[in-house]
Amino acid sequence: MPPPVMPQTPHKDDLEETWSFLESGINSVMHKLEDGVDMKHYMALYTAVHNFCTSQKAVVSNQGLQAHRGGSSAITRSLLQIAQSQEKEKQPLTVAGLITAHLLGEELYKLLGEYLSRHLEEVQQKSTAHTEEALLGFYIREWTRYTTAAKYINHLFSYLNRHWVKREIDEGKKNVYDVYTLHLVKWKDDFFEHVHSKVMDAVLSLIEKQRNGETIEQSQIKSIVDSFVSLGLDENDSKKSTLEVYRHYFQQPFIDATRKYYENESRQFVAENSVVEYMKKAEARLDEEKARVGLYLHSDVTKSLTETCLDVLVTAHSNLLRDEFQVLLNNERQEDLARMYGLLSRIKEGLDPLRGIFEKHVKKAGLAAVEKVNSEGENFEPKLYVDALLQVHSRYQSLVEEAFNGESEFVRSLDNACREFVNRNCIAQANNTKSPELLAKYTDSLLKKGSKAAEESELEEMLVQIMTVFKYIEDKDVFQKFYSKALAKRLVHVSSVSDDAETSMISKLKEACGFEYTNKLQRMFQDIQISKDLNASYKDWQDKVLDDDDRKRMTDAHFHVLGTGFWPLNPPTTAFSAPPEILKTAERFQKFYFDKHNGRKLTWLWQLCKGEMKANYIKNAKVPYTFQVSTFQMAILLLFNEAETLSYTDIEKATNLAPEVLDPNLAIFLKAKVLLASPEGGKPDPSMSFSLNYNFKNKKVKVNLNIQIKSEQKVETDDTHKTIEEDRKLLLQSAIVRIMKSRKKMRHVQLVQEVINQVKSRFPPHVIDIKKNIEALMEKDYIERLEGEEIAYIA
Amino acid sequence: MSTITLTSSDGVDIAVERAVAERSVLIKNMLEDLGDSGEAIPIPNVNEAVLKKVIEWCDHHKNDPPSASDDDDNRRKTTDIDEWDQKFMQVDQEMLFEVILAANYLDIKALLDVGCKTVANMIKGKSPEEIRKTFNIQNDFTPEEEDQIRRENEWAEE
Repeated sequence: MPPPVMPQTPHKDDLEETWSFLESGINSVMHKLEDGVDMKHYMALYTAVHNFCTSQKAVVSNQGLQAHRGGSSAITRSLLQIAQSQEKEKQPLTVAGLITAHLLGEELYKLLGEYLSRHLEEVQQKSTAHTEEALLGFYIREWTRYTTAAKYINHLFSYLNRHWVKREIDEGKKNVYDVYTLHLVKWKDDFFEHVHSKVMDAVLSLIEKQRNGETIEQSQIKSIVDSFVSLGLDENDSKKSTLEVYRHYFQQPFIDATRKYYENESRQFVAENSVVEYMKKAEARLDEEKARVGLYLHSDVTKSLTETCLDVLVTAHSNLLRDEFQVLLNNERQEDLARMYGLLSRIKEGLDPLRGIFEKHVKKAGLAAVEKVNSEGENFEPKLYVDALLQVHSRYQSLVEEAFNGESEFVRSLDNACREFVNRNCIAQANNTKSPELLAKYTDSLLKKGSKAAEESELEEMLVQIMTVFKYIEDKDVFQKFYSKALAKRLVHVSSVSDDAETSMISKLKEACGFEYTNKLQRMFQDIQISKDLNASYKDWQDKVLDDDDRKRMTDAHFHVLGTGFWPLNPPTTAFSAPPEILKTAERFQKFYFDKHNGRKLTWLWQLCKGEMKANYIKNAKVPYTFQVSTFQMAILLLFNEAETLSYTDIEKATNLAPEVLDPNLAIFLKAKVLLASPEGGKPDPSMSFSLNYNFKNKKVKVNLNIQIKSEQKVETDDTHKTIEEDRKLLLQSAIVRIMKSRKKMRHVQLVQEVINQVKSRFPPHVIDIKKNIEALMEKDYIERLEGEEIAYIA
Repeated sequence: MSTITLTSSDGVDIAVERAVAERSVLIKNMLEDLGDSGEAIPIPNVNEAVLKKVIEWCDHHKNDPPSASDDDDNRRKTTDIDEWDQKFMQVDQEMLFEVILAANYLDIKALLDVGCKTVANMIKGKSPEEIRKTFNIQNDFTPEEEDQIRRENEWAEE
């Protein structure tokens, strides 16, 4: 066999020969790797290390037994050595345990370390010739060469790693590393320690150049970062790396330089530019630094870099920014406000001072808007008022949404401000409840037939807006009162724009305030539905019961039966003698109803009844006029079937109507020229007499005379306020009783607090009122005062 | 499937599937470092017979999952050897030891383990005298030394 195929290896027992063979190999890996390493040489180097480490020279020692043991074959000895290095458990095999084989390799390891130190000293010498970017280039070149070689050498010495090094590390020896790590340790100790500050200076001046807008070779910095990171070794486990070296030698100086750079820049920029310009600059710088991390820094730096930049660019100038906030609000600079939010939201408690300013600003805007409505006179449309509130709200809601990211704290500030100006402004002053009243009236105007919002979707949207204001209303009970009054009217007069809209509004209220709040409203709807069925069966009943004669004189009538408890309706305030035609109709229905529901009581709400009359007496009309009238008016006009002229007293006696009702209705007739007064002119008074106007003329065939009288409206509003007071008293008392019934005993203060909690969703109660009602309940023996401040429930 | 050539210490070329040869970490590293030049790879420390034996083992185990972590204690603590490996190791002592040395040299951990376990099983349950006989070891302890050793290892002889 031709031996030349096999590589020549040094004598395994000869350290000097072995090392000089290895050194020349390492040298060519370190310096001439680009020429390539041939396979034979590679195998020879590996084999040389292997052979040296397994050579006969193994020193066998055990507690003073130094004798070189002959007799055992070389193989056995090697086996023992292998077994030793393999064996982990302390329990030894009987024979192997006697011999603690000394693994060879220490000398090679030491020589390799010395070689690396020599190499690095040379590198360090050469490095002094370079500065700045050239130094970076040099460092990176040498680093690349060194680490590439290290990977080869680590493989060539892998036998050493697997046995001697492993054993040393297992035994807990410090400062022994696998061959690759040894390279890194040496680099750090023998080279890095001497050059890191110069290298960092070069890195930082490069970065500064880039911050100043110059183009730099970023990859250089990236390589430096990677090198610094590689040098972080875990003392306890050389396989793991830490970022300590990188943090200490790179990150710290980098952060310090960053802070200094931006301190200077921002100070100068602020002095020369507007705040808005500065915000743009700061924003751009923050983005730029964030991008820098991705470009060539280690992600570990992100947090401290961001913190530093925010600290210097935002926190240090936060007062300046905040001072600008009011200005931006005044000028509605949404984009700049968004920018400010973006900056200040990133620092601790940066936004807190803004919220107060914002709240105040919105409140002021709201008050100003109401002021404007108020300045247009007392009789403004409720719509005008509600629109003013809504406009302010929606303007700032969209600002919060767009500029402040819809942040909940700003939403809260907006809500606070809106609650303030909705409930307390120059129209809705303390203790008057204008806001809920106007809101309810506006709602009524939308839901009543003839409203302008023709489109259903448009109407729905407006109802949603109403709910926006409703949310802020404190006196929700007042809204409820006015709303239910208006609803009652719409239902009784069949003047709702649509059932769907009504239902939608009620379900919104229910959603906002709960079942109890809308209970009565829903019952009102039910009554109307039940009445429809009732009228149908009444018709059937009439068909069976009435004879032809009855039918001839019958008036066509429709009835609503409305539960007293649910409807906000009162019996008529005036006495009234219904005309016989109507009385008969009413009595007939009553008979039918009582047959059906024995024991119920019906009260006729004459003031709400209405009808149509045909004026056959007016001869010059081709088609007879139809008068739409109230029942009171009907009673008056029907009197003229029997007489041409009637005195005031005649009418008063026949109808029994009180003058407060009679006079305005007569006035309507006079104004419409249905009746003629004598003497002419002036208000109706007992000295007058009235006669039919046979020459009545009107453009329309249907004439509506059933007009609501102004004074009635006012009385109604006042009445509503009165019932509110009454209802609040009841609400407070029932809350007190409910609480006391469940708690039995309670301190006075606590009770008051609890009542406030329960009631505040309806209206903001005054403590004095609560106390008054507690007193009232004591008088009624529901509760009693005990020793001290305690109150007890009397079962 | 690429094939490489190994040259044994006695100069015999053996063609091996690369994946099989790479069971040896030494060969794997070298191919990684130098690339496959197509040249035969000299294996200076292993002769033809042993190298063939080793390749036989590698070929059988070429689809084994890469050996789990070094500290796979379960694998190491038992002396259980799978059936194929047991049969594989039924060779004369000389060959057995040569295979172990080759595995150590070529850095084939799993094979080294199997070899050492085989030797361990040969030792298990034997008296020192029997062991000496098995491995042809001369007793070169003085009686005093033996006494001392026995005392030190009393705990193990229960």
